[in-house]
Amino acid sequence: MAALFASPSLFADLIVNGLLIGGLYAIIAMGLNLQYGMLRILNIAHGEFLMIGAFITYTLKVATGASPLWFLPVSAAAMFIFGLLLHATIFRRLSAISPNLDVMEEKSLIVGFGLLFILQNAAVLIWGADLHGYDFMTGSLHFGGVVFTANRLLVLVLAVLFSAGLILGLRFTLLGRAIRAMVQAPLGAMLVGIDTGTLHPLCFGLGLALAGVSGSLLSMIYLISPDMGTPYLITALIVITLGGLGSLTGSMIGGVLLGLVESFGVYFTDPSLKILLSYSVFVLVLLFRPRGLFAR
Amino acid sequence: MRTATWIISAALIVCLAALPSVASTFVLSLTLSIAMYAGLALSWSMFSGATGYVALSTSAFFGLGAYTCAILLGSWPWPIVVAGGAVAAALSALILGLCVLHLRGTYFAILTFGVSELLKNLIMYVEKSEFGTVGRLMMGAPSLSVIYWTVLALAVLAAVIYWLVARSDFGAALRAIGSDEGRASTLGLNVRNAKIAGFCLSAIIPGAIGAAMSVRWTYIEPQIVFNPFIVFQTVLVATIGGPTRLIGPILGAVVFGLLQETLRLNFANYYLIFLGVLLILSVLYVPNGLVSLFSSNRARPLKRASSKHA
Amino acid sequence: MPETLVELRDLTIRFGGISALSHVTFRAGPSELVGIIGPNGAGKTTLFNVMSGIAPPSAGAISFEGIDLTGRPAHVFNRIGVARTFQTARVFRNLSVRENVQFGLRFPWRRGGRAADAQADTDRLLERLGLINQARALAGSLPPTRQRLLEIAMALATNPRLLLLDEVAAGLTQSEAEGVASLIRSIRQERNISVIWIEHNVVTLMRAVDRVMVLHHGEVLADGLPNEVAQDRAVIDAYLGETAE
Repeated sequence: MAALFASPSLFADLIVNGLLIGGLYAIIAMGLNLQYGMLRILNIAHGEFLMIGAFITYTLKVATGASPLWFLPVSAAAMFIFGLLLHATIFRRLSAISPNLDVMEEKSLIVGFGLLFILQNAAVLIWGADLHGYDFMTGSLHFGGVVFTANRLLVLVLAVLFSAGLILGLRFTLLGRAIRAMVQAPLGAMLVGIDTGTLHPLCFGLGLALAGVSGSLLSMIYLISPDMGTPYLITALIVITLGGLGSLTGSMIGGVLLGLVESFGVYFTDPSLKILLSYSVFVLVLLFRPRGLFAR
Repeated sequence: MRTATWIISAALIVCLAALPSVASTFVLSLTLSIAMYAGLALSWSMFSGATGYVALSTSAFFGLGAYTCAILLGSWPWPIVVAGGAVAAALSALILGLCVLHLRGTYFAILTFGVSELLKNLIMYVEKSEFGTVGRLMMGAPSLSVIYWTVLALAVLAAVIYWLVARSDFGAALRAIGSDEGRASTLGLNVRNAKIAGFCLSAIIPGAIGAAMSVRWTYIEPQIVFNPFIVFQTVLVATIGGPTRLIGPILGAVVFGLLQETLRLNFANYYLIFLGVLLILSVLYVPNGLVSLFSSNRARPLKRASSKHA
Repeated sequence: MPETLVELRDLTIRFGGISALSHVTFRAGPSELVGIIGPNGAGKTTLFNVMSGIAPPSAGAISFEGIDLTGRPAHVFNRIGVARTFQTARVFRNLSVRENVQFGLRFPWRRGGRAADAQADTDRLLERLGLINQARALAGSLPPTRQRLLEIAMALATNPRLLLLDEVAAGLTQSEAEGVASLIRSIRQERNISVIWIEHNVVTLMRAVDRVMVLHHGEVLADGLPNEVAQDRAVIDAYLGETAE
């Protein structure tokens, strides 16, 4: 413990790491939150879209040699369109055949599970089951005696920009306001004339696009593999719970918090216990503050 | 149940039990697999089909059973080893249930799915720290016939448990939870206890099957036995067969077992994807499973439908 | 002052920033038939939610026969003797009418007797509520008014000492409503239980009950004999004035 404070470099590294991974968690969680808050379905395959976003960026980067940043919007757009398609084909039918919300939730869990399976195995088929990666901005930067890797700093900055941009966009654009209205007061929003017919698929697509963005960013700093998605799904769920369902700001703060907790926690224990740590945090939150840390 | 059904079932079981002496290894293996799918799907349906809580923990139970077997094998007689798997799984279900069963369905599903990953990492960590290596050798495994009879017996047991629960007060409680959990609680049902009991009960057979099947590998490691494909198969079989009737998972197991063989032979690379598509199509177009195609859509036994909360 | 069956002491319940119930103190004795009236949003159903254990209060206490039940789960309330119906009938839609009623009877702690008795008791309840001819029908196929009767049967199956009825006469004609009122009165008589009845049909309710409590904005506005409450100035201004007698 003393070593931690004796070495500002280590401390800063853990903080940056925590903020970085936390920022990514925040984006994934916000995407999931949008879908769940809006459509009341939790897409269990959400992590797989993150994985595909990562692989799209990876493939294009390796094929063209260009900076992966170019492919960030490509991943986002691809996932958005994929989301629209999925909503139109699968989820719309699901809501048509379900007599009530609970049944729909149950069915969409099973469908999501099927999707998860399809996507993971398709990825293994296309890219193979091993870890992949590419080098991007691996140089070091020095700030006041502390060393950082350039790519991590960049991704951290981008993650923050994205999250902030998303929150602002939702707050100040007309579309954003409509979305927030639907999430917070669905009946009222419909009475006022906000159209679920367009908003639902839009939000679904947007949620997936955010997953794609996170995956893309992740590919710039970590190795990727077809099975990388599930742990992020679980952390996204934890973040949503921490921050409160429906609250995007909550997801952002919750994500960062969890990232920091993990960063420090894993340092003191072991990387393979990361998931145990997440689960413990989750169970504790659910036992003591089930409405989220910020609920009144 | 009618006498005719009893007789046919008994005859069928006797025939199946006699299989090792007449059938080829291939047929025996196939029947073994079908029995496994049936056992897993019946246990899953008993709880998830009735309550609507989609539990994705089968891989975790199976893996725990397998590891328990690896630890006990050689030192203890076979029945104890298998029972040990069941106990380990049931205990884990108890702990998990206490932690997550008060949550709404989606959280429950995702968290139970992650438990398999959690256990995998945990065991790998422990093994690396304690032994330096990961994985265990399976020494002193019984013959294929013994494994077959064990799994067959477990499948029959799963069916018996399903049947007993379905016609008991406990089964009515589980179905009421699936129909309107809040309502059931205002009528005096301790919903939490009922769910935990049901969940633990649903872990017993998967744990035992995990123990029994693990010896088919000569060497196991967490990666192999905590495999999400197991829970996927379980959900698929239960869903295509129909989880709310006894014959559903059994029918699903037979169909799936045969399908799997054909697919694996002809479309080795794509068949997993095909299975995923099959699951989705099944939910969207045959929501009550194949059984619903054969019977009229009456309320016997019960699909759950209504609201879980006010 | 008769002995107390159920008592709410200074009960407050808040959702978000709003107090749905504010410092409510209320008592009901054994075998009392109490009516609760008040405009929409007054907190009547919230009161029932607290009294049946579905919603824990933010402040204050609730006790049944002296036993403190504050914060206990719903099934404990029921096992101690509180049963209720819901404003929108919540029946187990895909079970038969008979199975719905049987649910409350089935569990060992309640039965104490034999399965055969449960059958007979179920039939008796179905007869009493006029549902015996629809015993095998799916509960979800019944019209809403009959579903409410089914809910009463389900609640009675749990052998309560306090029955909470939430707008069971809604959507009925005046004579049908009178029928329900007399059903309630006779149930109270036969089983010697207390009944608390929320109703919008003020006319029918006031004629049937021993006592009336008026809720307004989550607070108790009046609590007393029907004819006293009917003449209470505050009540007339707030509520009765709108529903012309």
